[in-house]
Amino acid sequence: MSALTLTLKDPPDQRVNMSPLVPNRLQGKSLEEIRNIRLAGSRQDLTVGKLFNVSGEQTEHIRMLHGSPMLDAIGSEMTQGLIEVKGGAGDCLGLEMRGGEIRVDGGVGRWAASRMKGGRIHITGDAGDFLGGALPASPVGMQDGMGVVSGNAGDRIGDRMRRGILVVEGNAGDYCGSRLLAGTIIILGQAGSAVGFAMKRGSIILAAPPTRIPSTFNSCGHLKMEFLRVLFRHLSRSQRRFEAFNAFGPEAERYAGDLAYGGKGEVLILDNVLTGTDR
Amino acid sequence: MRINGVYIDDTFAEAFSMKATRLIITAIDHYWAFRAANSLTGFASSVIACGCEADIERKLDPSETPDGRPGIAVIMFAMSTKRLIEQVQKRVGQSVMTTATSACFSGIRSDEMISLGKSLRFFGDGHQTSKRIDGTRFWRIPVMHGEFVCEETTGVVPAIGGGNFLVLAKTSRHALAACEKAVDAIGKVHNAVTTFPGGIVGSGSKTGSKYPFMPASTNEAFCPTLKGVVNTQLTEEIGSVLEIVIDGLDQEAISGAMREGVLAACSVGPEKGIYRISAGNYGGKLGPYHFHLRSILS
Repeated sequence: MSALTLTLKDPPDQRVNMSPLVPNRLQGKSLEEIRNIRLAGSRQDLTVGKLFNVSGEQTEHIRMLHGSPMLDAIGSEMTQGLIEVKGGAGDCLGLEMRGGEIRVDGGVGRWAASRMKGGRIHITGDAGDFLGGALPASPVGMQDGMGVVSGNAGDRIGDRMRRGILVVEGNAGDYCGSRLLAGTIIILGQAGSAVGFAMKRGSIILAAPPTRIPSTFNSCGHLKMEFLRVLFRHLSRSQRRFEAFNAFGPEAERYAGDLAYGGKGEVLILDNVLTGTDR
Repeated sequence: MRINGVYIDDTFAEAFSMKATRLIITAIDHYWAFRAANSLTGFASSVIACGCEADIERKLDPSETPDGRPGIAVIMFAMSTKRLIEQVQKRVGQSVMTTATSACFSGIRSDEMISLGKSLRFFGDGHQTSKRIDGTRFWRIPVMHGEFVCEETTGVVPAIGGGNFLVLAKTSRHALAACEKAVDAIGKVHNAVTTFPGGIVGSGSKTGSKYPFMPASTNEAFCPTLKGVVNTQLTEEIGSVLEIVIDGLDQEAISGAMREGVLAACSVGPEKGIYRISAGNYGGKLGPYHFHLRSILS
């Protein structure tokens, strides 16, 4: 069976809520039923058939061709299956996602992986602000699962994140891990200013020193952080693209903070990232 | 039945149900992982007075451990889950956490999970933090050597204790040589351990005693110095008996370990003082598991 393929006819001229198009909501539906599903738009509602050419039958595997930054909430409340997006997505990718996998070949907007509770998201391009972060008025951001961005990420990623792992292979903007409640953020490029501002617990792991660390963080010195062995080992085994983590050593400079918020969080700036020496 | 000239008694080992868990102890190198494991499994020969039975199962390569460091797998057995919880907390807390550079992980999963780091974390006095990785929670306890990492829980599985066989020999020196070979052979069997010192019991016991305060006492039927006094199981040429007790995670592990052990002991042969192999039981009334020597070896 071929994947259910949604090919965008024309770039939408309004924001469109794509949350009905997830494998768990499409199970057992015919192509005609899928074409008639109504999607909420920022100006007016429209049907799937009006926006997309629909073909294929395997609803467990959804392919969206010619993505658009106007398509919001792709994979929202998804519990199973696979969604592939070619060409980028809008805001709130994987909002409250609970399982399955989303792969985006392109960039995404703000609040990707917000309130995500499980599953895996991989974005090959850039992610906007608040990756894994809390929506306005929401008490928590990402709650579990794994988010990977191969490009750069915007400001305030992991804002109020509570659990899970975020990996940004490029650079991150300012206030990375702001108000972090717990969980793990790994930045393999350069992080911006005010890393970990107002974080309570959790770990922000940086491959390079950030632009600035807030004054409410204190250095604990260069140490062997034993839990990094477990984390890197898990990551290196979890997917092929992370095999390089196997060479990462546990040595890091540890900054405890935010001391204005209990000081149980940490920013770890890795030593020996490329060599993994002195293990 | 004879193997290499050694007579195999037509009898059986009687074993009973236990609860068990496996722990993986890692450290900076195998020496320090062994020091932690050796301490944890110390004074854990018999549940009669030790609270649990425990022994090192095998050495683990870095590729087999959760943190990629050299490790040791140990298996702990107790008569109930409650007892096992007590012993795991005490022994990991006092023997593993106190060992320099150590970390401790669960080596077995099951529906029944008991506290490991979940209890030990309080040693962190409020500075402990946890990290959940792929659904498993690890506790990070700040300690003087750095950071003690300990998995939150470990699995409890039904297990079997008390698999055994007796080596009847000319002298204790002969019996010991055969038993050392047997213990080496049993060490290659996964899921089974020998919890007594060196894997060998020099003072096998029977249940009960003439003294009401003694739950177990010497097995006089196999004591060479009582041959002329009690209803002995020993013939004239036998001057020493040593026992090997095996605990395992399932019947296959016990019977496999007994087979390998008996064959190794028999390989020494009568010309080097090994005359008979027997086994300890309580008439079949105590334990639900009966390991018949001849059927295991046939």
